[in-house]
Amino acid sequence: MQCDRARRLLPPLIDGALGPLHRWFVTRHLAHCAGCSVQLEELQAMQAALRSNLPYHRAPPGLAARIGAMLPREAAPAPSRSWLRMQAVTVAGTGLAGALAGVALTLLVVGGGRASDNAVMQSVIGDHIRSMMADHLTDVLTSDQHTVKPWLSARLDVSPSVRDLKDAGFPLIGGRLDYVDGHPAAAVVYRHARHVINLFAWASPGQPDTGFHAASRQGFNVVTWRRAGITYYAVSDVEADQLAAFAKLVE
Amino acid sequence: MGIASGRQRFHVGRPQTGCPVLVQHDRKRRFELLALPHLDAAFNLARWLAGNTADAEDVVQDAYLRAFRYFDAWQGGNFRVWLLTIVRNSFFTWAKENRSSRLVFHPEAPTGDTAEAETTAWGTPPRDPEALLMERIDSQTLARLMERLPTEYREVLLLREVEDLAYKEIAEVCGVPIGTVMSRLARARLALRKLWFGAAAQEAGDAV
Repeated sequence: MQCDRARRLLPPLIDGALGPLHRWFVTRHLAHCAGCSVQLEELQAMQAALRSNLPYHRAPPGLAARIGAMLPREAAPAPSRSWLRMQAVTVAGTGLAGALAGVALTLLVVGGGRASDNAVMQSVIGDHIRSMMADHLTDVLTSDQHTVKPWLSARLDVSPSVRDLKDAGFPLIGGRLDYVDGHPAAAVVYRHARHVINLFAWASPGQPDTGFHAASRQGFNVVTWRRAGITYYAVSDVEADQLAAFAKLVE
Repeated sequence: MGIASGRQRFHVGRPQTGCPVLVQHDRKRRFELLALPHLDAAFNLARWLAGNTADAEDVVQDAYLRAFRYFDAWQGGNFRVWLLTIVRNSFFTWAKENRSSRLVFHPEAPTGDTAEAETTAWGTPPRDPEALLMERIDSQTLARLMERLPTEYREVLLLREVEDLAYKEIAEVCGVPIGTVMSRLARARLALRKLWFGAAAQEAGDAV
């Protein structure tokens, strides 16, 4: 492969947009071309800098409440119940986090009446949202897998798979106890770039193993599977293929 | 170009009227459930586009109001992508109305094979290997360099690296073909690299 052709494929390579065949050709070329390798390193360095060092501007507190107040009430005789709850929580001083926790609670109620899989799906998405907004992402905050796993096992009837996948771009952040669809559950928290991944796990004794099932709800991606009597749900707003890759790594 | 096509996309849906009260309640609640978790992403994009917090808040509020109005036009795809498209459109409408200097667009390169030009333009690496360590760049400097990029470059870099969107999704948000996204992203990276090495050189010069 010529250098000019290889260099054109470097950006899609670091953006994960290259098919296996092209990836193979580029990798083979890079193995013996110092010039192209340097350019790849530069591109990767720039990507890493933007992903880790660029300031991220979070929404100011109160913006969620202002938006909610602004949305037309549209022929409603009284303010909707969820909105009342949101405002009450906001006034209580917890701001955006509280407002969104209120939303997540409503989500659980909304999901309640459907088929059971759907209810679990809604439930884990609700927990995922709440975990990010309510400033309660982790009970045990450490990137050490040898701390998180025993901490969870000591408190639950499951010992889920916990791995630090930092080298693969999914650093371990910590663990949390949670309650999903009537089960005590472990939530193992990972990060990918700016995004949080919650990996929920709970005991499903005697139930058969399953493959990976992917779904997408409300802008969040979910991958679920069952292995060795433990049900796993990975939830995040990272892209579906990234989450699938994550699930395979965990497994 | 981005503005015109973005506009077109914007008016696809028709606001729903005459619904029973219950349905309207559900609609608002459903909207809040979907849209509020993405408030940080919406604000971050608006803040980087508009350049300050006050204007970004205006843009985001306008975007959420529009998103709610056209909620029925959402086809059930990735909601975050749909919402960011509206945030971007709101920004450009706002910038146009306010004749903002943030509305700087560079014409696309006239030649067909733009990737060719970028390959050559990338050139040789600087002699000092330390200069390659872009990870070491502090966030303030990086933010300053990003601010100096034209809006169209800044937005594709943000959508790719911060929002982690795929080319196809960036194309959707910006209302341009995927090929344009790829060449724009390549040019944006090239421009950022130039600014970075310029800043590094200046720093070295100051030190002497």
